[in-house]
Amino acid sequence: MEQAQLLQRFERDSSWFYKNIDKLRKQGYTEQFVAIKNAKPIAADKDIDIVIRKLDKEGENPSFVFIEFVHPDGYVLLL
Amino acid sequence: MGMFFYCKMVRIPVDILYFAGGWRPMLSIILRYPDPKIFLPIKGIIDTGSPTTLIGLSDMMRMRLSKIQIKKILGSHGEVNIGGGKVETIKVEGMGLKIGNFLETDLDVQFPLSGENPKQPSLLGVDFLEKIKANFYFNPSKKESYLEIED
Repeated sequence: MEQAQLLQRFERDSSWFYKNIDKLRKQGYTEQFVAIKNAKPIAADKDIDIVIRKLDKEGENPSFVFIEFVHPDGYVLLL
Repeated sequence: MGMFFYCKMVRIPVDILYFAGGWRPMLSIILRYPDPKIFLPIKGIIDTGSPTTLIGLSDMMRMRLSKIQIKKILGSHGEVNIGGGKVETIKVEGMGLKIGNFLETDLDVQFPLSGENPKQPSLLGVDFLEKIKANFYFNPSKKESYLEIED
């Protein structure tokens, strides 16, 4: 897959994550790092190291996969 | 008789996405570096309360560069304070930044070495806005946000 396509997929997957975070919570991903590919979670764990290792094992390059933490509902992060 | 110069302005759309308790202006950018080779798309929060651009630990880990490799990158070591906690950082000088097909620039970017929470997102700080000479518009009630730069 070309870099442009990989980047488009990253963009789509990141938007999907933020718009579907409630769905991910209902699916039990709260307080886990979740890797998203093609609008689906493909790896998850409380430890991001483990998520990255799972992606490696599946032949995915973590650099091109969107990974984010699912905070519990009501959690407020001040920057 | 006065002379008028028109500058064509380009708007770069910024996403407004709900994350960790509030609406955040988020921008997708690509980080590039020649050696060690880095090509990393990230989704960063535009944070006008942060003077510097700081890459989140989870994004750094996606690069699969060890802290030893990061330490080998020439740059000045420093410290930043986030949420009351100290984070040891390395400032990578001249990191390439690409925003879609709109622009490419370089910026000194801070990477965490220790003390950071992996849940901390990547922040695009005021140094980023200053470097690209951008006006930043953010209207959360209308869900409208963009960067405006000279063409």
